[in-house]
Amino acid sequence: MTRAENKDSNNHPEFGVDSRYTSKKESQSEATALMEARLARMKNVSKDDIIRAKLMQLKLNMEAFIKQPIHEPHNYFSEFLQSYIDAIYSKRSIFAMDLDITPSKLSQVINNHREPQDEFLLKLMIHSEKIYANVCPFQKEIWYQVYFHEKLCKMMSTQKEWTSKFENVVSVSEPITKYEK
Amino acid sequence: MVIIETATGNSHPVEIKLVDDSDYQKLTKARYFFDWKAEKQFEVYKLCIFGSNEILGLISLERIPDEWRIHIRLLTVSVENQGKHKLFDNIAGNLIAHAAKIAVAAYAELACVSLRPKTEIAKHYIETYNMQVTGLTLSIEVPEILNLTNRFDHD
Repeated sequence: MTRAENKDSNNHPEFGVDSRYTSKKESQSEATALMEARLARMKNVSKDDIIRAKLMQLKLNMEAFIKQPIHEPHNYFSEFLQSYIDAIYSKRSIFAMDLDITPSKLSQVINNHREPQDEFLLKLMIHSEKIYANVCPFQKEIWYQVYFHEKLCKMMSTQKEWTSKFENVVSVSEPITKYEK
Repeated sequence: MVIIETATGNSHPVEIKLVDDSDYQKLTKARYFFDWKAEKQFEVYKLCIFGSNEILGLISLERIPDEWRIHIRLLTVSVENQGKHKLFDNIAGNLIAHAAKIAVAAYAELACVSLRPKTEIAKHYIETYNMQVTGLTLSIEVPEILNLTNRFDHD
């Protein structure tokens, strides 16, 4: 590339951007101005857009969770479920009504006193598919993926206990060495 | 997320991942315009066609949680992908959308992605990505940031 071409490409939008600040003072002054402008613009953000943002955040966080390797157990499913309901509904009992379940059943799932059954998960998939149709692309089966990924984390975190419990009763009667040449 | 092969119009799925330490050797100024080694302390992401190790674009990000903001420090596409004869389209757009996803995942309705391009190219970013102007800084916030994320989300 000649110098002239190089200069030209440096001004081409797809060449990219160098947005690094040259000093802390410069960075702070631009940050203050930007924050003031954003706070003014935030006043005009509609309630619907706030809900859309929360739902998109939830979707991205669920996607990130299922991509994570097995780690310490935590009640992610119920936390994601709470975020989902609270983003859309003013009262959780209305969501329970929409899913045709009792508020107490919902409360037990949210508070980890009851495992979500297939019927609950299937209804949740149908509900979220309808809700996300106006938000962003959404794989409804992600609820199952989150649920089973969490189960896997819990199961693997207690590996020592269940291994010692079952190790002695599990045998291999057809070891692979049998097929050695 | 996909990029478009300009010669054929075919789309290719891409993945955007953190740059590995071993990648920095390949990130020469001749091909990627900036000194990317100097960005090691920040989050630097690479865009590659799914299953390939060829780096087609790079972005360096700074998280500013106090302001619910992700600042794009550096952004570029590889030399063969810019200008009239570029091989692939949408590389920069996908990288900006990736920054937008990180911002939305972290800050939801408060999310913001900012950058500060040269005056000559600011118009391109304002028009292409629907960015707001505040002094020399361009930014994208809710609702535009949601629309941008959706525009490049083909998963």
